[in-house]
Amino acid sequence: MAETRGVLLPAYVLADESQSMGPYRQDLSNGLVSLCEGLRAEPMVAAKLRLAVLGFSDDVQVRLAVADMRTETSLPQVSIRGLTNYEAVFDDLLARIPSDVQWLRGEGYKVHRPVVFFLSDGQPTDGGAWRQPHAKLTDKATTPTAPNIVACGIGDAQAHTMVEVATRKEFAFVAKPGTDIGRAVAEFFHALTASLVASGQALNSASPQLVVNRPDQFTMAIDEVGE
Amino acid sequence: MKFPRGDGPAAAPTAPVGAHGPAPWQRVTVGVPGPEFEARPPGQYDFDFPDTECDGWSTPSLSLRFASVRGAKHRYYRQPRQDAARAAVHESTGSVVFAVADGVSSAANSELGAVEACRASIEMMLHQLSGDQDKLVFPEVARHAAERLRELARWRLNGKEPQPSEVAGLYATTLVAGAVHVHPSGPVAEICRIGDSGAWVLDSPSGRYQPLFGPKTDSEALVVSNEVTPLPHVPDPLEHTSARLDSGQVLLIGTDGFEDPLGDGDGQVGSLFARHLAAPPPALWLAHLLDFSRETFDDDRTLLAVWPHSTAESR
Repeated sequence: MAETRGVLLPAYVLADESQSMGPYRQDLSNGLVSLCEGLRAEPMVAAKLRLAVLGFSDDVQVRLAVADMRTETSLPQVSIRGLTNYEAVFDDLLARIPSDVQWLRGEGYKVHRPVVFFLSDGQPTDGGAWRQPHAKLTDKATTPTAPNIVACGIGDAQAHTMVEVATRKEFAFVAKPGTDIGRAVAEFFHALTASLVASGQALNSASPQLVVNRPDQFTMAIDEVGE
Repeated sequence: MKFPRGDGPAAAPTAPVGAHGPAPWQRVTVGVPGPEFEARPPGQYDFDFPDTECDGWSTPSLSLRFASVRGAKHRYYRQPRQDAARAAVHESTGSVVFAVADGVSSAANSELGAVEACRASIEMMLHQLSGDQDKLVFPEVARHAAERLRELARWRLNGKEPQPSEVAGLYATTLVAGAVHVHPSGPVAEICRIGDSGAWVLDSPSGRYQPLFGPKTDSEALVVSNEVTPLPHVPDPLEHTSARLDSGQVLLIGTDGFEDPLGDGDGQVGSLFARHLAAPPPALWLAHLLDFSRETFDDDRTLLAVWPHSTAESR
């Protein structure tokens, strides 16, 4: 263990940009702005995070590359388009996360297990094709940098799918029935900011741990599945 | 004051106060410093856990220094220092016993757990050294510390017998405990640990840090491990080791707030401490040094050092 510049938590926000999110584009943008501002207000926490924002639909597009939010000045811009291809998400992360971790290590940092915050308003349109790259991504034996995945479903996204996407059942949430989707998006970003700040505070301590806050207006998806 | 047998370390030099008084100490920075701010107070009932503690003294054979400083994170978020250290001399043998603990931040009162684990382990080690045992019995030391945490939890729960998870939820802490014994052939340290704090022998001439326990993270691992099993859990077998301190060597015990920025010791932090620990510094200077500022390293830091007198020449 050579001297390190610090220990970082890489965090990835996967935002659903499929057509059905069209009416909520502004809510998504506002949520991303509040996330970026929330992290800038906590420079000590932000110093230990690197944030990436990825928009997904038919493919994955980078809205913010792994960034130090203390110095990042651009705001991620979302673009509504296409279907809800989960396979594209997990194929992309399978290549992106190991590469980002290697890059950060090359920069002289040590790296905590990355975390992915996944927000979708629909069921996958690629059938079950996403399960194979998802399984590979989350298998620590195959992918040593396998991330923790927090999955939040709104709109048509179903609880059992979120439970499958999340790496722990307590990391899966769905909006309560009847919740306004715009408000659910806002609550997702509030909880995401709080989770990152709390996780950032818990890093570099005797018990570093990922802290995941349940978004207001969401329930644990496992409760909806009825397991 | 005279040292027994008159073989104590040289007295620390003093400097006259100039016309404008001594200059205040500047914060030591390493690489890119972290944010500078005035520390905020911890909670109103945390008055028993001051921001900084340090201690320093010498026996005829050994010199001890320790310092424990609150990390930037706790200074900013109004939490008390959750590290602790204690040390004592066992008078009839001249052994120096010590304990260093790092309270687990998710435990509600880990700052008290850390202090009590140090106290209990030192009490047991002193007790053992007063018996006819020539070596410390570390499982007994660790169980005594765990029992102290359980007693605290029972008191806190108004007499209800606590579950292990309740003890951990209140007072979980890592612990490194041990002693440096005086032997005719040179001092010998024996140490045990529960959790991920570190211990090293610093070879002053070369500036190399020889770790006495395995690293908490495999250097080849792509991501760092988060797993710590602290007190009140007592592992079986308990991790322990021993080391002879040769001339020019210093025993160091440090929490991960020191261990993480130190790394292998071959960088700026290692060089800084190797330079300043070649001889026992004033305890207050050790605390000041330990409070160095380096971006992203904001945890509490505790460092305890023992020099054999062949090494020690107090500054």
